[in-house]
Amino acid sequence: MKNKALIIVLLLTTLFASACGSSSGKLTIRDAWARPASAGENGAAYFIIENGTASDDTLLSVNSDIAAAAEVHMSMMDGNGVMSMQMQEALNIPASGKVEFKAGGLHVMFVGLIRDLKVGDTITLTLNFKSAGGVVIEVPVTEP
Amino acid sequence: MNKKISFTPLIMATAVLGIALAASFIFRRPHTFHGAVIDPPLPVTDFTLQTANDVSFRLSDAKGKIVLLFFGYTSCPDVCPVTLATFKQVHERLGEDAQKIAFVMITADPDRDTPDKVAEYTARFNPEFIGLSGSLTDLEPIWKELGVFVEKQDTGSAAGYLVSHTASVYVIDQDGNLLMTFPYGTSATDMADDLIQLLKQSNKK
Repeated sequence: MKNKALIIVLLLTTLFASACGSSSGKLTIRDAWARPASAGENGAAYFIIENGTASDDTLLSVNSDIAAAAEVHMSMMDGNGVMSMQMQEALNIPASGKVEFKAGGLHVMFVGLIRDLKVGDTITLTLNFKSAGGVVIEVPVTEP
Repeated sequence: MNKKISFTPLIMATAVLGIALAASFIFRRPHTFHGAVIDPPLPVTDFTLQTANDVSFRLSDAKGKIVLLFFGYTSCPDVCPVTLATFKQVHERLGEDAQKIAFVMITADPDRDTPDKVAEYTARFNPEFIGLSGSLTDLEPIWKELGVFVEKQDTGSAAGYLVSHTASVYVIDQDGNLLMTFPYGTSATDMADDLIQLLKQSNKK
């Protein structure tokens, strides 16, 4: 009796685990959001890139029509509390892995916004990957 | 037999008293600050900078208030808005007590940040926030005194140079002494907790 129950539990666990795993076989972007900012200023957007494929991919560039330029930057703090940003030319997205963009870390930097980004707005970004090609995403502007 | 019975309530009473004592000790434990406390507090030399419409702001103007201060620049898309968003949440959490705090941002990029620009930037988060700029001659001694590192950095960005800067938040007390610093990334809850405690302590004085 006990053994039977255990087997059922194990089976269910395996089922759940496989359903939750990122074995979609695709590269997906989720949880995207952009910070509110005014025209003329710089802005930032964040998301999580999940690579469900069996091979590494590379984020080469980001395109957007809301700013003069869109770049990938990484904010980094040293041991003395000094923050610097480093531009990322090519960002590796490991096979079956994920890369998280977040405040105080990796972010898309909009240089010279052409228009205001207000809470409730939605902007469109194209992320250009080496293998997956151009991936278009809708990004809501929200308060952090 | 009789002795045993008469002892039981005594033991229980002692136990209850012990627990009550322990509890009162735990609850009266002094507040543990989330920020790094500077002991003894360091007097900060008074300074004058400019805010919107070239109105002067002296640090001593804020006497009587706690000053929550950080250094940043308006071209900064990530770290500076994060800190200002935290300030905004701290302001909301403090409610009426927020009136006893001056929320201040001083530029780390005087070449591009005019006083108007910094003031406009901080006002987007809360119109009561104070945004300050000035000449390099005015700013450098402030950076130096508070140990703020500022360096222009050429990264190849279309934004031109970026500025590496100390991202800590500085707490200056009602008499102009540096009391505490918060490292970048301190939550609004932790900052507000410490500020409430500081306000309580200053009420007792």
